[in-house]
Amino acid sequence: MAEKLNKLPKVTEYFCDEDQFSPGNACCPGCIMELNLRLVSKIMGKDSILLGTPGCSAPTIHGQNDRAWHKHSYYACVMTGVASSATGLARYYKKAGIDATIVCHTGDGCAQDIGIQTISGAAERNENIIYICYDNEGYMNTGVQRSSATPYGAATSTTPVGLKSIGKTTNSKNMPMIMAMHDIPYVATATLSHLEDYAKKLTKAKEMVKQGFVYLHVFCPCTVGWKVKPDSSITVCRAAVQSNYFPLWEVGNGAYRITQPVAKPKPINEMLKLIGKFNHLKDQEISVLQQQSDNRFSILQALCSIRA
Amino acid sequence: MGLKKEEKYIYKYEACWSDGNNPLLCLNTGDWRTSRPVINNEICNGCGICMTFCPPQCISIKDDYFLINLGFCKGCGICAKECPKKAITMTQEGDYADDCKI
Repeated sequence: MAEKLNKLPKVTEYFCDEDQFSPGNACCPGCIMELNLRLVSKIMGKDSILLGTPGCSAPTIHGQNDRAWHKHSYYACVMTGVASSATGLARYYKKAGIDATIVCHTGDGCAQDIGIQTISGAAERNENIIYICYDNEGYMNTGVQRSSATPYGAATSTTPVGLKSIGKTTNSKNMPMIMAMHDIPYVATATLSHLEDYAKKLTKAKEMVKQGFVYLHVFCPCTVGWKVKPDSSITVCRAAVQSNYFPLWEVGNGAYRITQPVAKPKPINEMLKLIGKFNHLKDQEISVLQQQSDNRFSILQALCSIRA
Repeated sequence: MGLKKEEKYIYKYEACWSDGNNPLLCLNTGDWRTSRPVINNEICNGCGICMTFCPPQCISIKDDYFLINLGFCKGCGICAKECPKKAITMTQEGDYADDCKI
């Protein structure tokens, strides 16, 4: 037994509390947002205060009637005001002298479309908040509509594929880079296939929040909206990292660093063929996506070399 | 696969907006499953990768082996796909119909 325990993955060393969520909750089978929630709960500890909005995480982190799915303190906000509500909480706990970690957990629709102005404002005021955005590239809870995180060429219910349409015609926002340009203490991207890397970033976020605003961008494939098999969501995450479509990087106090460098990046096609929403793409559109992904990565590389 | 009463309410706790008399909400998510993960303990080398990647975190350590809590396993198959030794196989839930007496 001792032999087996020694070999457990290193991510288990970062757990400081037990899982605060009830074992059977309302997430879809294979949804790794659920894994994300449980990981946040284990690493942030049971005294962290969650804030959430209507979205994919709402069925689980909201209560129903008078009962809850988890033991955290939780504040349900409107989508436009998560960061400003969190500001109020953070300031109250600071004044009351209570040591509390404020964690906003919202999707990309709230973080990048609806609530971006309050996030930007809170980041500029440098409030002591951890903001975790799980990026499933669309409004998955309401029926797979496009959001500003949806990449070029993706099929959604509002950007359908037809004889003349190829899905979404514009590129997604580079949200982690937008937040990094606010010059806040800590910004990082993470995904669930690299759990140890994610756990390190969460632990670091918990320290850095004492200095100010922390933003974490987590890549979370949606099995329903992306037309991915339930068992493949972790595989898609790994493919996204290995093709530099979603590089894992962090910036702490102005120093950019790629935390999981990929020696030989795979072509983006390797990732796209795993995902059903990109199945209709032809070589021309794939090359556009490849070009955009390469552009973003070269910007990131340039930033890493300047500040190193 | 019904749950025992005590198993269902192990998480009894005060919800932050409740009067504290109710247990946490909990679904029998095991009922959603169409295929069941089965661990071959002879091939398993105990790396624990299945345990960390399991979205409902329903795999635990029991003595020398990993134990899947079938009351909450949703049957997504991530454990079987991520297992480096391919020690987990997904089997059709229909094969176990005789075990399930309703």
